[in-house]
Amino acid sequence: MRFHRFVDPKDLPNFIMDEKVTILVTGGSGMLGYALQRVVKVEKRPNEEWIFINSKDGDLRDINQTRKVIEKYMPTHVLHLASAVSGMFRNIKFNSDVLLTNQSINTNVYQVCKDIKVKKLISCLSTCIYPDNVTYPITESMLHNGAPHITSIGYSFSKRMLDVMNRCYRMQYGCNFLSVIPTNLYGPNDNFSLEDAHVIPGLIHKVHRCKKEDTPLIVWGTGKPLRQFIFSYDLAKLMIWAIREYNDEENIFFSVDEDDEISIKELVEIVVEESGFKGDVVFDETKTDGQYKKTVSTAKMRQFLPDFKFTPIREGIRETIRWFEENYETART
Amino acid sequence: MNGISKHKVILVTGGSGLVGQAIKKVSEEENRSDEKWIFLASKDADLRDLEETRAIFKEYKPTHVVHLAAMVGGLYKHLKVNCDFLIFNVRINDNVLQCCKEMGVKKVVSCLSTCIFPDDTTYPINETMIHDGPPHDSNFGYSYAKRMIVVMNRAYNMQYGCRFTSVIPTNIYGPNDNFSVEDGHVMPGLIHKGYLAKHKNIPFTVCGTGTPRRQFIYSIDLAKLIMWTLREYDEIDPIILSVDKEDEVSVQEVAEMVKEAFDLKDEVQYDSSKSDGQIKKTASNSKLRKYLPDYKFTPLRQGIKETAEWLEAHYETARK
Repeated sequence: MRFHRFVDPKDLPNFIMDEKVTILVTGGSGMLGYALQRVVKVEKRPNEEWIFINSKDGDLRDINQTRKVIEKYMPTHVLHLASAVSGMFRNIKFNSDVLLTNQSINTNVYQVCKDIKVKKLISCLSTCIYPDNVTYPITESMLHNGAPHITSIGYSFSKRMLDVMNRCYRMQYGCNFLSVIPTNLYGPNDNFSLEDAHVIPGLIHKVHRCKKEDTPLIVWGTGKPLRQFIFSYDLAKLMIWAIREYNDEENIFFSVDEDDEISIKELVEIVVEESGFKGDVVFDETKTDGQYKKTVSTAKMRQFLPDFKFTPIREGIRETIRWFEENYETART
Repeated sequence: MNGISKHKVILVTGGSGLVGQAIKKVSEEENRSDEKWIFLASKDADLRDLEETRAIFKEYKPTHVVHLAAMVGGLYKHLKVNCDFLIFNVRINDNVLQCCKEMGVKKVVSCLSTCIFPDDTTYPINETMIHDGPPHDSNFGYSYAKRMIVVMNRAYNMQYGCRFTSVIPTNIYGPNDNFSVEDGHVMPGLIHKGYLAKHKNIPFTVCGTGTPRRQFIYSIDLAKLIMWTLREYDEIDPIILSVDKEDEVSVQEVAEMVKEAFDLKDEVQYDSSKSDGQIKKTASNSKLRKYLPDYKFTPLRQGIKETAEWLEAHYETARK
């Protein structure tokens, strides 16, 4: 896609070490926000102020509340994570609500960020929003080449609109708005609800239950779909890198490499072993599998970060299970 | 209670525009006793604001809505303010559909455009192709805002059973258009230029090479077809409303018809330094023809003549 650039990314300065920057993170209390808070504690630079807000600070579906909470902090940079998210089965039921909620939140945040002349705004897309009918591996530029999978049309289109807004705001107003695209995210402080969660937290919770109740584990679907999973702490480090260094107007995938893609069946085996579950495992093939694969190319990411080392999946799951068991009472279930 | 459920209160947003006024004319001529038509304009409510939108819906309590309100403009305006086209239209559409759902509106017909289809495509375009690729750069913002109507119609139907649908007209023309030479669409722009050539003795110059091809639909025909869609068309998926493929014409042919309508003597000039926009957007109306095989469209020459006469009679007050 060819667009006139009003702002050449090469002209944008990276952080000047002693220039003060205020980074506002919306959706700051979610899974990724949680990981970011912990990583920032260790990696924060002296010139950086990091502020994490969540829905208690303001309802971003309302333009006035959005303006109030953002203008309170007058950030120079914004990491926009706030979103209605959920696993596939909930998406199918609530396509309309997810679409409208995200559309409101995103239009409001973008408008205010433009009005107060934020220097950079990074929002988060997701690989599930890419076309369903596509060749693999998926590259960043394929985003608009077809309709997304029907199970998440509301979520997918609301996220695709972030990409559209990035381009339009850049073209008309010269705003430095861009997006990063993680693959399936997992980690502590996720939503572990049995009905509505994504596959890893859903499994972890199910196994926990089955262990306690001494029942067989029933996994929805055939176990055949393939996924690249990224641990929340790894994504947090990549997002911090992006807010400091990444200025390309094109989106970038953040993911483990293609070779580290695993099947749901393999994932189940890891969760079962790390949880110490000894019971039977059964696959309920009457339940939908969702997309069979969504393999993304990490070529672009590796161009910038050839040596970044991801947490091995077994280790990430082990840590997530440990967090879940320690925080069971207060976890989102 | 008998009979009340059959009575329709039909709210038309964007009612003062090109299509809205055509629907007003046709509905007044038809004068059906079971239909009450209300035409809204931006002075009645700023639909970019949710509370204003809610207030107007609560005031009129529509059972049906024809949603035409949008920020629209020709090629050159889109190149200038792509972002505004996106944001304003997204806000308007979100608010209107949300209020329709809240008020239990029985049927909504929204208006899209063939310019929202993928740029890289095979022809003719049909309704199933909307999401098969990105739209033309020149109206990226507008196109996505309109595409989202299709997505929302499907999502609202999936989750709430709402009956929201949409029509996709090709290039519309007729009285009450925006005749601005800078910001208007190709047909009204040409008609205005024809007027200026006749009355101000300015050469009749067409922007671009004149080679792009379009299917033009007269606003009165579109009005009748939208009213049919509201009353009879039961699908959630959109329907293209267009003249047949064989009636596609080039901008050059249109310029010649405008020259004829104003009885101009000098040759038409072409400024090929100006952008042409999309070279073609040929749309298939087979779906429409399945439902209405015998519908007769107003011939282009006649529609242009009538529009030119309207502009002559209303030049002072016309939008330009």
